[in-house]
Amino acid sequence: MKAEDLKNNKEYKYGFTTEIENIKSPKGLSEETVKFISNIKKEPKWMLEWRLKAFNRLKVLKEPNWQKPKYPKINYQDLYYYSAPKSASEKPKSLDEIDPKILETYKKLGIPLDEQKRLNGIAVDAVFDSVSVATTFKDELTKKGIIFCSISEAIQKYPELVKKYLGSVIPLSDHYFATLNSAVFTDGSFVYIPPNTKCPMELSTYFRINASETGQFERTLIIADKGSYVSYLEGCTAPMRDENQLHAANVELIALDDAEIKYSTVQNWYPGDEKGVGGIYNFVTKRGACRGKNSKISWTQVETGSAITWKYPSCILQGDNSVGEFYSIAITNNFQKADTGTKMIHLGKNTKSKIISKGISAGNADNMYRGLVEIKNKAINSRNYTQCDSLLMGNKCGAHTIPYIKNGNATSTIEHEATTTKINEEQLYYCNQRGLDQEEAVSLIVNGFCKEVLQQLPMEFAVEAQKLVAISLEGSVG
Amino acid sequence: MLNIKNLEATIDNKLILKGFNLNIKPGEVHAIMGPNGSGKSTLANVLSGKSGYEIKGEIKYNGKSLSELSTEERAQKGIFLAFQYPLEIPGVNTNIFLRTSLNSVRKANGEKELDTLAFLKLIKEKSSELGIDEKFLSRQLNVGFSGGEKKKNEILQMKLLQPKLSILDETDSGLDIDALKIVAQGVNSYKNKDNAFLIITHYQRLLDYIKPDFVHVLSNGKIVKTGKAELGVQLEKTGYTNLV
Amino acid sequence: MKQYYDFKIEKIKGLSQEEIDSRKKNLELFYKNGFPNKKDEDWKFSDLNKILSNNFNNISNNDYLFKEKNFKQIHEFEHNFISLFNGQIISSDFSYEEKNKISLKVFNYKNEKNLDKKNSLNLLNHALASGGFSLEISKNYKLKKPIVIYNNFSNSLNETIVNYKNSIIINENSELNLINYIDNSSKENFMVNTIENIKMRKNSSLNNILINNSKCNGYFYKYTKNDLEKNSNLKNYLILSGLKFNKLDIEINLNEKDSKSSVFSALNLVKNEHQEIKTRINHNAPHCHSYQKVKKVLNNESKGVYQGKIFVKNIAQKTDAYQLSGALILDDAAEFDAKPELEIYADDVKCSHGSSSGSVDLNSIHYLKSRGIPEREAYELLINGFLSEILEKMQESELKNFLIKKLERQINEH
Repeated sequence: MKAEDLKNNKEYKYGFTTEIENIKSPKGLSEETVKFISNIKKEPKWMLEWRLKAFNRLKVLKEPNWQKPKYPKINYQDLYYYSAPKSASEKPKSLDEIDPKILETYKKLGIPLDEQKRLNGIAVDAVFDSVSVATTFKDELTKKGIIFCSISEAIQKYPELVKKYLGSVIPLSDHYFATLNSAVFTDGSFVYIPPNTKCPMELSTYFRINASETGQFERTLIIADKGSYVSYLEGCTAPMRDENQLHAANVELIALDDAEIKYSTVQNWYPGDEKGVGGIYNFVTKRGACRGKNSKISWTQVETGSAITWKYPSCILQGDNSVGEFYSIAITNNFQKADTGTKMIHLGKNTKSKIISKGISAGNADNMYRGLVEIKNKAINSRNYTQCDSLLMGNKCGAHTIPYIKNGNATSTIEHEATTTKINEEQLYYCNQRGLDQEEAVSLIVNGFCKEVLQQLPMEFAVEAQKLVAISLEGSVG
Repeated sequence: MLNIKNLEATIDNKLILKGFNLNIKPGEVHAIMGPNGSGKSTLANVLSGKSGYEIKGEIKYNGKSLSELSTEERAQKGIFLAFQYPLEIPGVNTNIFLRTSLNSVRKANGEKELDTLAFLKLIKEKSSELGIDEKFLSRQLNVGFSGGEKKKNEILQMKLLQPKLSILDETDSGLDIDALKIVAQGVNSYKNKDNAFLIITHYQRLLDYIKPDFVHVLSNGKIVKTGKAELGVQLEKTGYTNLV
Repeated sequence: MKQYYDFKIEKIKGLSQEEIDSRKKNLELFYKNGFPNKKDEDWKFSDLNKILSNNFNNISNNDYLFKEKNFKQIHEFEHNFISLFNGQIISSDFSYEEKNKISLKVFNYKNEKNLDKKNSLNLLNHALASGGFSLEISKNYKLKKPIVIYNNFSNSLNETIVNYKNSIIINENSELNLINYIDNSSKENFMVNTIENIKMRKNSSLNNILINNSKCNGYFYKYTKNDLEKNSNLKNYLILSGLKFNKLDIEINLNEKDSKSSVFSALNLVKNEHQEIKTRINHNAPHCHSYQKVKKVLNNESKGVYQGKIFVKNIAQKTDAYQLSGALILDDAAEFDAKPELEIYADDVKCSHGSSSGSVDLNSIHYLKSRGIPEREAYELLINGFLSEILEKMQESELKNFLIKKLERQINEH
């Protein structure tokens, strides 16, 4: 231990004699890397121990391989686990240096030029830094006792809350990527809503997404105390150029008695080009625990980006009368692959869950809904309704549905419906006849197909999501 | 035959019937009219013994309290409800259902159960009276039936079971004029001095064909006005707004 | 875990050295895997290893000798028959049919070498199989009466496993009603592991009916591979309540245009009975239809499982595939598990599946009660209706009446 402490100290020193912007952690995954990250974030000892426990666990875990989309082996020793933003010289200096295709997309999304600059990291990073943005609203939130800060800050300022809830929904040793995240996560958001408080605004990570290169192992923890409500938005409605291959975030939600958490995601990471080169692997673990009675957790996701999306936002319905919801749109085009869905685990009495999943597949893409609905023996009078619809465009793509259904008592009902169809040609014809071109018509019909999910999104998000749906499918009909 | 006093019915903590009174004698036809949400269907459900309602007050049928009786016992004693939305029951053959039902009622009343042949003869007769195609009896109960077919099937069941008190819950809804006439004929041909009808309806339409002795206006869980057949006609013209 | 089985190839007589070697390889591979357990995705909901280890002390194999020849015949309808004892042909009778139209032989294992690494029960079958039959129906022949296969098992099978293979070929334009009939009420624990290959040539038609008659303590696994040519039509009816454990693993390959297949199943399970129906329908050609309706009523501590996969190849345009699984769970200790799966690579298709599980619909019960039907009868009526629906589209016949009666008995005996 002595020797190690010494070593820590050395690294620690190293960390603080250098400008943060220039720091990179040692290459590869090692105990040193874990300590380096913990040190540079000035974490307390318990946090480092927690990380090391995860790291030790990781040594015996294997990467899962049951998923449908296969990916080339990731060399974990070849990655940097902490790296500050790149220096200005490495960034595009003006919009001229940015891929014109991305600019075209921005134009369609109606994102103003300044915003475009910021999204590309041309504008000053500091303005876009998460903490400072959060402070804009801090007064209003603080008045209500709401805590909204980075997880790093929370570890320093609210260690009791973090200690109590971190890893309580996604255990340290849950599975390979979750454990990896636990060992090396760099930052993320922390939200605590005190009892009987309705959060007055949508909380969002939208503003701080430009911390891109360090964001590959995000960790988010949201706690809604008794009788509280929060709506949280994650993501970005413009595609990010990000050279990180692997994103393995962990998101944990905890809803206590009578509390409600609404979590919406619009994911539009770089999907790779038309030939399937490049793109992000989005392997995210999202899980919510309806811990209290009458609590509710609702996941809404619009997944249009990433080369591979592999995630199952889930609900553990522990409290009696608790409710879990999952609304999803997954669009895959070109060579994109998605393996996504949800798990609804019913433990409490009179628990309800609802799953609406819309998968759209075009080009050479593969789109999979995979889900589990399990009603345990003691979860009497529980209900699930699941609807999975897939839309195929062309015969080079695939649509797959694998629901696992387990009903363990006589008073509970599970209903599952799924359909797979092609885009309705008569509807297309009708639209064409009324003067819409093929792409407009497809966009209209697909948006109709997704309506139930889009309706779940907060207004301003929904509008952009609709445009995104259209853009994602460009060139898919010919 | 039926005496209802101060009936209160609550479901999901919501009070629907709030002190409802009604007396029906054999041979009478009563119509209950009222706007949506006035408690019409609740009344039908409560009389048939549907579970889930909390009941206060008194319902006497031929002098005996109904509250202790299960749904099937009420049916066996001659209370028949023609449902507003007859359920589709997949897999259950209509003929088999009708025979089981008839024999259950007969058995409960100490009558001999009908064998298949006797039953088929009877059902043939009753269905031809209503212009029901026999093929329809070999189909699954109400599955894929049109609205009119479902309602005719309800009337067929009524004629088969020969109830003393028939409650028709919005039987006219979803019927075209031809089907409406057939349904009305079915009722009229069954009507006699020993049985009674309670017709629950939103519109006067059905009452043009089945003449009621009394018309009651139900509003907010109570009867607010009672009159003769003319009241229905008047309501058709003026609407409920003046009354409720 | 204790080793609860011991298999020896030497017990099978009359094998050539080559066969012995091949069988040994299969057995070695089986021993590597053991009986399938829940870690195996195909056995996720039916942990056979656990079930067998809890119920058997030492399963072994035998070259089954049989003395019994008597068995109870079905009298309700006229039929041809093949009688098997422990998988071996004992007798057959095709007297209703024209001569030389039906060929029946003992299954020939000489050319069987298959090493199926994925399915350890198939490995075990390859290692230990004996007996079984090859049935072939000539071209352009429609059988006048059904063939009943009496699957008899002798009363001395305690702690043993019976393995055999069957092959059925139905040639062009021919038609057959086939009834696989199990009637065994021995209290002994035994296992039956069958592989069946069915080939259906152009325009042929087969009703393949599996029905169980009594309470049987056997543990059954049957893997059926069906290959369908152009415009052929296969219908499976699975009415197997009463078996202690049963898993049917049905693969249907719709290999040519316009072929059609359906799977209908009705099971009423009691006590700790456990049955799984697993299907894989491969739409390998355009314009094919598949239809599945799998229904279960689960009482006591029983467990019903359905795993059904519809696979549509990219060339299989105009596919029409439907799959429905439903379960009525009547007891809190009963369990229903399902995995209805779609894997689709063609866009001009109509594919859907639905699954529902839960208790009996109380509104339906109310409707029936309001017509004077007592509660218990109302439940029976609904359960009967729920299960017998699978027979609805079958052509009216003595056979259909027979099946309806058997199904009713399976329901009412509990």
